[in-house]
Amino acid sequence: MAIENLAFLIPLLPALAFVITFFFGKKMYSGGALIPIGAIAISCIISVLITINLLQNPEEVVHQSIHWFAILNLGILIDPLAAVMLSMVTFVSLLIHIYALGYMSHDPGKSRYFAETALFTAAMLGVILSDNILQLFICWELVGLCSYLLIGFWYQKPSAAAAAKKAFLTTRVGDVMFLTGIIVLFSGIFKVYNGNLPEGIYVLQFSEMFNLIPQLSAMHTTILGFEVSQLTIITLLFFGGAVGKSGQFPLHVWLPDAMEGPTTVSALIHAATMVTAGVYLVARTFPMFMGAPDALIVVAYVGGFTALFASTMGIVMNDIKRVLAFSTISQLGYMMLGLGMGAVVGMEAVGVSMFHLINHAFFKALLFLCAGSVIHSVGTQDMRQMGGVGKIMPITFITMLIASLALAGFGIPGTSIGTSGFFSKDAIIETTYLFAEHTGNYLPYIFGIVAALLTSTYIFRLLFMTFTGKPRTDYGGHESPNVMTIPLSILAVFALLFGGITKKAFNDFLEVTFENDFVHVSMEHLAELGNYDLVHGAGHEPLFILWLPVIVGVAGLVISYLIYYKKVVDMSTIVSRNNPVYKLLYNRYYQHQIFIELIALKITYGLSLIGEFIDRKIIDGIIDGISDGTIAIGETIRKVQTGVVQSYATAVIAGVGLLIILLKLIVEVQ
Amino acid sequence: MTNYMLLAPELVLTLVALAIMLAGLFFGTKHKNILGYVAGMGLFAALSLTIGGLAVNETLFYGTITIDALSQFFKIVFISVSLLVTIASIKYTEGNKNTDEFFTLLLFSTIGMMVVASANDLIVLFVGFELASLSTYALAGFEKKNPKSMEAALKYFIIGSLSSALMLFGISFVYGMTGTTSIPGIAENAGALAASPIGLIAVVMLIAGFGFKMALVPFHMWAPDTYQGAPTVISALLAAGSKKMGFVAAFRIFMVALAVLSPNWQTAFAILAVITMTLGNVVAISQTSVKRMLAYSSVAQAGYIAIAFAVMTPMALAGGILYTLSHAFMKTGAFLVVAVVGYMVVSDNKNAKDIDHLDNFKGLAKRMPLTAFAMMVFVFALSGIPPTAGYVSKFILFSSTIESGLVWLAVIAILNSALSLYYYARIVKYMYFLPAIGGKVSEPRPYAVAIILALAGVLIIGIWPEPFVYWAMEAAKVLMV
Repeated sequence: MAIENLAFLIPLLPALAFVITFFFGKKMYSGGALIPIGAIAISCIISVLITINLLQNPEEVVHQSIHWFAILNLGILIDPLAAVMLSMVTFVSLLIHIYALGYMSHDPGKSRYFAETALFTAAMLGVILSDNILQLFICWELVGLCSYLLIGFWYQKPSAAAAAKKAFLTTRVGDVMFLTGIIVLFSGIFKVYNGNLPEGIYVLQFSEMFNLIPQLSAMHTTILGFEVSQLTIITLLFFGGAVGKSGQFPLHVWLPDAMEGPTTVSALIHAATMVTAGVYLVARTFPMFMGAPDALIVVAYVGGFTALFASTMGIVMNDIKRVLAFSTISQLGYMMLGLGMGAVVGMEAVGVSMFHLINHAFFKALLFLCAGSVIHSVGTQDMRQMGGVGKIMPITFITMLIASLALAGFGIPGTSIGTSGFFSKDAIIETTYLFAEHTGNYLPYIFGIVAALLTSTYIFRLLFMTFTGKPRTDYGGHESPNVMTIPLSILAVFALLFGGITKKAFNDFLEVTFENDFVHVSMEHLAELGNYDLVHGAGHEPLFILWLPVIVGVAGLVISYLIYYKKVVDMSTIVSRNNPVYKLLYNRYYQHQIFIELIALKITYGLSLIGEFIDRKIIDGIIDGISDGTIAIGETIRKVQTGVVQSYATAVIAGVGLLIILLKLIVEVQ
Repeated sequence: MTNYMLLAPELVLTLVALAIMLAGLFFGTKHKNILGYVAGMGLFAALSLTIGGLAVNETLFYGTITIDALSQFFKIVFISVSLLVTIASIKYTEGNKNTDEFFTLLLFSTIGMMVVASANDLIVLFVGFELASLSTYALAGFEKKNPKSMEAALKYFIIGSLSSALMLFGISFVYGMTGTTSIPGIAENAGALAASPIGLIAVVMLIAGFGFKMALVPFHMWAPDTYQGAPTVISALLAAGSKKMGFVAAFRIFMVALAVLSPNWQTAFAILAVITMTLGNVVAISQTSVKRMLAYSSVAQAGYIAIAFAVMTPMALAGGILYTLSHAFMKTGAFLVVAVVGYMVVSDNKNAKDIDHLDNFKGLAKRMPLTAFAMMVFVFALSGIPPTAGYVSKFILFSSTIESGLVWLAVIAILNSALSLYYYARIVKYMYFLPAIGGKVSEPRPYAVAIILALAGVLIIGIWPEPFVYWAMEAAKVLMV
């Protein structure tokens, strides 16, 4: 039996694990944790086998579809893009589940925890292997629900409950845009076929959507006096969904707060998997972005700006998990930036961006799990109360160091020596340089380079503040148990080596994502539709450009070393409420004030007051009037029902008579 | 050569019914409980046999019986309802010395309905109709000591006889004009009917006869009284099962035999549909007895299904036919929930009055969580909220109505659905938001099994409608010759 036939089990097993653990977990060993772990392990094996098969036979894309109803289907599509995501998500999720065995061992609600993470994994896998946009959206929403449940896992804590609500509401803004995008897409397709949707094909399947790109891009609508292609609207709305899910500016505000959940949740959802769903969505529908003018440029700018913007805030945070949260936002920005560079490099952008996504998943999961290990042992998340943790937790320290080097992108250009992050981040920065050279627009490149400097600075600041020096408080910790350190070590190996080993193979593999029997698009043709000018023969950047990311990375290390280890600069003069720059950063650019106090409390609340007045006084008045009237009529008519059987019989006979007369009249009129 | 295997489901049920009747003579009251299980197994066997013969298309006994997609579809509806009712009745009849009669009558009424589904001749149809009716008259009065039950049975019987008389009157007119009682034969000679004013009268008489079973306004007035007074499990059978018998008979007679007269009856059904659904929903709002409310809701649902006659496109027929299946599950389920609540109230207080009063549903979610959840699904299905069977059926029916140009009819139907939510949601409010009176109660197992099966039916059709829609389309094709 071919392994492809088992593909449906990949999301199904974790979903079943959810049901079993949720209902029966309490009575099982360690809250039933072993069931999700086993289920995800099998999913992982199937995913990896499919990926290997696909690597050897790139044309054997898995596509299965069954009729759902009307013009909709349920289906599985595993092409190279989906295959690498599947393998990564199942693998990282598996390690995090194992780690959680130790991390959550003392929590009374752990069966609920494992059930929810299993459901989350199932939903995420559903997003990845959907073959149509609607099914993807359904799973996407399920992912959102799970993140709400998991962020608010400790719902007794008011801050956790508030964070869960914030995450849900903020991502909802993006979800609504995504759904609107699907609706616009559908109405566009409806127009293409003049209202007669053909039988036997499913128009929301990716293959059909991609086939219709030329027609959709030829449709134009006028918005505020600008003539915009229908395709641009659709793609920007899809991107809106991605902005919400992947924490891009300005919908990133939920991600730092989401750290209220258990650290394993942060690692699973807010580093490795869920937040990458947005990036995946853009990659999945990349041909549409290629065909839409200006959409990719928007993606690039939003991504680049987010990368820079989030890293500035990472520098001043004192909560170890918040630093990592801002780091995640910033890195997701890089991935979006990479995708946006499709404007000049075409399909290669997907490879570059996904490569960073995968590497990032490894090292960011590792960073979070190390942080979790520290928190588990020290009992606080505030770095100002740590210091010298490296001495008591050597394994955690070394793995964290590896992860930090990967995040900062240390390596030697031109060779295969370097951390995972180095290869992927460098590739993104190189493409931005190519973009700059080609279009004369250096802004994305500058975003990339400056963010790289800040990235290195904040991560080494974290490292020095946490692991070196003397303990600043009396915390008395211990190294974590094996069940936690082993996943750390495995992830560390991947963070260190995965990039260097797979660099070439990875790009070649993903390059053919949209060239198979199921989906076949010509990037050149699409680029023409989108007015993009593709460059061929990249890879001839000057040596300085290749080295610059590494140089700024080292510079960041040196800055942090001098300030936080050698303490050559007295931070107390800078870290003060009087320093406007510090104040601005520490208050996170006053986003809270802007989003909550201005937008939410003043504008939205004001509007809702007006809405309430209209609703209560006018609409409710009408509705109440109708319902009162209806009830009164009902009361009257029910009196006809006397309970006397003679009158019932009379009604029957009268009914017959009236019906005859009525029909006679109608027939004669006709 | 007659292939008796095609009638295997009917034959099995007949044998089981006779066996139960015979066993009743010898069994003591204590052992009669087993008869319910026997009836259940017989029904299950009949269901399996019917599903096994889905693809058959043949006529038997000189063309008086036909086995086709339509008959099989409705037989499955009838057997499913009877099966659910039987399972639940195992608890209801516990310790009753007339248990054998109960199940015998239940099976006979099922056989009657199945004969109607297969009838290809007016005489066979009438006999089947009467077999089912007479059995249910007795079942409605099963609680001999309960005056309400007797009243229910008597009213049902009087109005039923009147309707049978009207139906026979209509049949005699049809026979007089066409010279045959065979349905395909009538279709060939219906020209004579169409040319004469007698045709119109015959159509109205037949509508009145079937309208009694379907509970179309103004032939519905027996229904609320009977549904309320009869034992609740029997109300489920009447509302979900025997009502559909009226529909399948009407489908065959009007769509096949009297197709030529369609301008007459299409208009008649359009008018009746509007009046029926509106009156049903409006009066349901002011009911405080849940059984009575479900009775009126059942009247309203008949109005929706009657749209299929007014529209008469293949899609609309498929929608109407699918609706009967969906309605079978959701209505049976809802009545069984009322039965469980009644059981709960009586076990709280032996002398309780008004056991079907809405107040008894207060806080049901705390007292019987499974039942409350199931009831929520059933009432949402009845009002047509996804992902339930009710939504799928309404969607197909209403969208086909719009497609055929009868937008006004669809608008009225949709407004009615919105209206119905008022009283359906009220039950949910009572169950989930009002405080409970009394502690947690565990459902008797037979009831729980029946409710779970109905719940599964409602949800499966709602989530995976495709095979059922296909199946209903096949059944509709029989009518569109």
